[in-house]
Amino acid sequence: MEQDVIQRNNVRVFGNGSQPMLFAHGFGCDQNMWRFITPHFEKDYQIVLFDYVGSGGSDLKAYDPDRYGKLDGYAEDVLDVVRALDLRDVIFVGHSVSSMIGVLAANQEPDRFEKLIMIGPSPRYINDEPYVGGFEQKDIEGLFEMMDHNFIGWANFLAPAIMKNGDRPELGAELTESFCSTDPVIARRFAAATFLADNRSDLAQVTVPSLILQCSDDMVAPREVGEYLRKELPDSTLRVMNAVGHCPHMSDPDETVTLIKEYLGAQAAA
Amino acid sequence: MQAEPGDLLDQAPCGFISFGDDSRIALVNLTLLERLGYEREELVGKHFENILTVASRIFYQTHFFPLVKLHGRAQEVFMLLRTRDGSDLGVLCNASRRERNDSVFTDCVVMEVIERRKFEEALLQAKHSAEQANVALEEQAIELEHQHQQLQEQATELEVQGEQLMALNEDLERQRAAADEANRAKSSFLAVMSHELRTPLNAIGGYVQLLQMGVHGSVTAEQLEALNRVDRSQRHLLRLINDVLNLSRIEAGRVDYRVEVVALKEAVGSVMPMLEPQISAKNLQLDVSVPPALEALADREKVQQILLNLLTNAIKFTAAGGSICVEASSEASKVLMRVIDTGVGIPSEMIEKVFEPFIQVDASRSRATEGTGLGLAISRDLARGMNGDLSATSTPGTGSIFELSLPRKS
Repeated sequence: MEQDVIQRNNVRVFGNGSQPMLFAHGFGCDQNMWRFITPHFEKDYQIVLFDYVGSGGSDLKAYDPDRYGKLDGYAEDVLDVVRALDLRDVIFVGHSVSSMIGVLAANQEPDRFEKLIMIGPSPRYINDEPYVGGFEQKDIEGLFEMMDHNFIGWANFLAPAIMKNGDRPELGAELTESFCSTDPVIARRFAAATFLADNRSDLAQVTVPSLILQCSDDMVAPREVGEYLRKELPDSTLRVMNAVGHCPHMSDPDETVTLIKEYLGAQAAA
Repeated sequence: MQAEPGDLLDQAPCGFISFGDDSRIALVNLTLLERLGYEREELVGKHFENILTVASRIFYQTHFFPLVKLHGRAQEVFMLLRTRDGSDLGVLCNASRRERNDSVFTDCVVMEVIERRKFEEALLQAKHSAEQANVALEEQAIELEHQHQQLQEQATELEVQGEQLMALNEDLERQRAAADEANRAKSSFLAVMSHELRTPLNAIGGYVQLLQMGVHGSVTAEQLEALNRVDRSQRHLLRLINDVLNLSRIEAGRVDYRVEVVALKEAVGSVMPMLEPQISAKNLQLDVSVPPALEALADREKVQQILLNLLTNAIKFTAAGGSICVEASSEASKVLMRVIDTGVGIPSEMIEKVFEPFIQVDASRSRATEGTGLGLAISRDLARGMNGDLSATSTPGTGSIFELSLPRKS
């Protein structure tokens, strides 16, 4: 089982520390997105990287449309990795949708987690008066259309070829390079699980302290969402970053690292 | 003529835009500005996302930016740009990261796709339709499967019923064959018996006549009276046996019909001499009203036999001083003869039974009127054997009408 999960989720473990930092990538990408961040922590922590099933270097054969039709399935991936490596006192770092996946995982096994660090989180993307999520239903449908257009070649012509041609791994590699996600059909389902989710009712149960990193101009997770989370998440800290966009860990790794370290240091001192 | 590099970029037949990791626009060419409807100073320094639709902004943040950042380039990414007047512009972007003046920029070539987008939309639409059709087909397949199962169950049930029916049918067939066989055996038995009975009866008749004639010596008046009674009884018994023999022959299908043209008036006339003694004895009035032109296709002897039977019955059951009428008419393909009496009549529930063998309406009366009860059964069988029929109607107390129909000579 342990080895299965390690291979299935393409788990990588490195670093000199003993406390684990578990990095969970967001929708549309894979563990490579953390490469600007992890060098700053590997001296003091045990770094654990993985890909969700269906992303990056994960085992596509393990993909189960039912399990991964909801974020709970992805939370199961996180818990599988944590259990396989028997991680304790985990500092969970999640980007975007992985923030809520972390919440779901921490609510299931709170004793395993010490802190949740959320980069650009949102418990619900679609507006729901008076809640502001930043999007209307039609915007999300527009995103699905855009994905369909971008994956049209892959989904209709190459994906079947990849499925059939185990002897042509370069096709899959090419796709990964093109979109950081191995299978467009899976990506499409991940998008629906992400952008149609509503995890607002899960927030109050969270017992693990959390840091919310909110970019100053993030159209995917607007300021109101950060404020909402700070209010609803018990024992949470909101830091609004100078960095703009939705991926500060890539666009401004320095500020991201600094804020995480400040949070960890303050928590350690407290 | 030598063009300036700046001019070349501005005039290039595709859009060009360059922005930093913070997505602030550093450079944009004239082609793209004109297509979007912006002035250069309106865009430079602003976020690239400002010229994207909402959906494209998400896609940019979740796909495009990570891709360029991690792999240094992106190819053929479809996005929707938003023009100044709010309309959508479908484009393909090729991007690569470059370092200039100690800063990193994403240089992006933007190519408008109109036809290709239409094709893609048609393709996606078709795919969507196909997926929906597939779902519908799957549902139909399940429904069909369900119906198929029901039909199969019904078929099995029908098969079972069919087998039961077949068994029943075979049973009936066997019973019918047995009944036919029994009937044939009966007819055959009767024919043989009648024949065996007739031989000694004829001997009795012959010796009685010899005695009556005094061949074996003279007989007294008393002895002659006794011989006359033996003679009457012998004749009666012989008639009974002949009737039984006739019926059994008809039923065994051993009767031959010699069909010819039969003038009905003649047929009636030919049986009259045999009946006149009884008619005058009972003082009955007989009216015969048969047009001379009416002709039937039938066996003359059988017709006479039927008429004799019908008239004998009529005379038998009509009280002294009553009247009997014989009339005939024709229809398209048949001739009809009716024998009408003014006798006691037949109750309606008995009207069909009189044609059954050995039946008489009133058992007590049969002794007074003497008959085998076979006459009507034989007559009907004979009529039917000539493609005709014999039927009866009656009003008890008023009289009966027996109607013989026969094929008409065309």
